[in-house]
Amino acid sequence: MVVAMYAKQNEGVHERVESKVLVSAKGLTKTYRRGTEEVRALDGVSFDLQQGEFTAIVGQSGAGKTTLLHLLGCMDTPTSGEIIIGGHSTKGLSDRALTQLRREQVGFVFQHFGLLPTLTVMENLLLPTLFSKREAKARANELLEQVGLTQRRNHHPNQLSGGEMQRVAIARALINRPQILLADEPTGNLDSVNGEAILQLFHQLHREGLTIVVVTHNPILADATQRQLVLRDGQLVP
Amino acid sequence: MLSLALSNLTRRRLRTALTLLGVAISVGVLACLLAFGKGYEAGLGRELNGMGIQMMLVPLGCPYDAAARVLKGKTLEVSLPANSLNIARQEGKVEVAAPLLMATLPRPAEGRTDLWVGIDESVRPLKPWWKMTTGSRWFPDANSVILGAEAAATELRQVGDTFFSPETGRKFTVCGVLERSGTSDDSQFFVPLATAQEMFHQPNRITAVAIRLKDPTQITEVSTRLQQVPGAQVVTMAEMMGTFLNLVGSVRTLVSAIAIVALCISGLSVFNTMLSAVLERTRELGVLRAVGASRSQVFCLLSVEAILLTTLGSTLGVVLALATGRFVEMGVRLFVPMAPADTLLNLSREVIQQCFMVGVVVGLGAGLYPAWQASRLQPVEAIRID
Ligand SMILES: Nc1ncnc2c1ncn2[C@@H]1O[C@H](COP(=O)(O)OP(=O)(O)OP(=O)(O)O)[C@@H](O)[C@H]1O
Ligand SMILES: [Mg+2]
Repeated sequence: MVVAMYAKQNEGVHERVESKVLVSAKGLTKTYRRGTEEVRALDGVSFDLQQGEFTAIVGQSGAGKTTLLHLLGCMDTPTSGEIIIGGHSTKGLSDRALTQLRREQVGFVFQHFGLLPTLTVMENLLLPTLFSKREAKARANELLEQVGLTQRRNHHPNQLSGGEMQRVAIARALINRPQILLADEPTGNLDSVNGEAILQLFHQLHREGLTIVVVTHNPILADATQRQLVLRDGQLVP
Repeated sequence: MLSLALSNLTRRRLRTALTLLGVAISVGVLACLLAFGKGYEAGLGRELNGMGIQMMLVPLGCPYDAAARVLKGKTLEVSLPANSLNIARQEGKVEVAAPLLMATLPRPAEGRTDLWVGIDESVRPLKPWWKMTTGSRWFPDANSVILGAEAAATELRQVGDTFFSPETGRKFTVCGVLERSGTSDDSQFFVPLATAQEMFHQPNRITAVAIRLKDPTQITEVSTRLQQVPGAQVVTMAEMMGTFLNLVGSVRTLVSAIAIVALCISGLSVFNTMLSAVLERTRELGVLRAVGASRSQVFCLLSVEAILLTTLGSTLGVVLALATGRFVEMGVRLFVPMAPADTLLNLSREVIQQCFMVGVVVGLGAGLYPAWQASRLQPVEAIRID
């Protein structure tokens, strides 16, 4: 059921209907418990993300950016409020349904790449398809080509530079053709040259119609986006 | 998934190796134990069956001890009247009833004790493994002796030689020498029954009657009837086997306990390995969850790792058992009564299968909790750890 509904959304990508809302956050609140103290990492955050939009989430350290990105990627559930993806609320979904959402609708790029050290570039790329039992060799080759790492396919992560690892991580996030790409400080661990390469890659993906959200401290990357969401102490600054 | 599990095991080689070794040793012990039990039973059964004896008539007393002594070539202090042989022979369902009179002859000058056995022709069908060396004959007269292979070697006698026994003051002619058979017969001196009775002043007495039935299924019926023979009692081979196995049973219980402790320890070490693997790889497992692995898939992954570990360990253990089984057997022989002559360790396919089963079960058991822990990780918890 979830899949069918997103398949329809997929067509939307190609049509590039500017006004179509892909993700809608409504009053998102997330509190963490640290001992007896309660930390309010997010406090009533609401916004819409349009289909095909390239958005940056910026803000000071501890403002709640990562927390928000995790909620958007269904990696975590909000304490209150809800996220509506493609018109359907994710509230109260089972772990199984959330897993499926993560697998099929969301591409997530971790700040620390999140590559498995024992697997080669190619195996890392194909990791998500291992769980969806989907044949994706062709797609993997295509993505490697796109991120310019075809020659590195059989290398292990420790043989790659930071920029290369980040590109593998992005390629992996795209393997299941997600609706939205979420990246947590994708240039945070990279020098400016590699950061620029990643930025170009995002631009290219954006042109292809992908919806992208990045959390970043990098002003160059933030300025390159269409829209900036500024967080301060868990709240959106208008 | 399998290759992913395998690649995870290869990353902590030393720890994996140690865990494997632990599993291998305990499974090896288990394999030897099972194989030994099977082999002992089979060997004993073969040996008793090979004799073609279904029951034995022995003097009253501890019947099992008596039968065991007769089988293993030791003397009894008491004897049976010779007419018990006739009673046995008259029993219609008996095919062969062979009298035996066994006596020891101390040889203080040589520092050893010889065992003399009085027999008649009827014993031959019960000793199918007897092969005479060339030139041998069955007793041509009362003063003939047939020597076991070892006895002949120690006495330096061959067929046709004469042989004086100073202790009994008799002169014998060696009419036959037996080929080596690996049984207690090798060291014995066989003479005609009447000669033995005379030599050892046991007129009309015998030590035991070995009986073969025409139809082995009638064993209960015949044994109740022969039970009536005065001064004698019947021991069936099934009872004998049971007694031997009971004796071995206590040894086995002990070794079983050791094997179980070893298995528990190796299970714990698998548990430890898996649990620390989960802790170490929290972040990676979170990544798996984040890219779309379901709880059950993470659970499966860790279980497969644990099972892989113990299956590999079990394989090693079986190999270990095959490689060192000979030495284990040598050790075991020192402690086990009436060990059959042929190999005790019987590493059959069945035993190997059982060992693998145990290995997989231990792996599953030890891997269950770590795998469950791993599957409970939320993707975000895992990613956050720095
Ligand atoms: N698991 C947690 N337990 C307790 N508090 C947490 C947890 N995760 C985050 N927090 C707190 O929530 C707040 C928001 O954290 P978050 O990681 O979202 O900030 P951020 O904007 O991503 O910061 P940075 O730029 O440093 O990455 C912080 O005060 C943080 O200490
Ligand atoms: Mg952060």
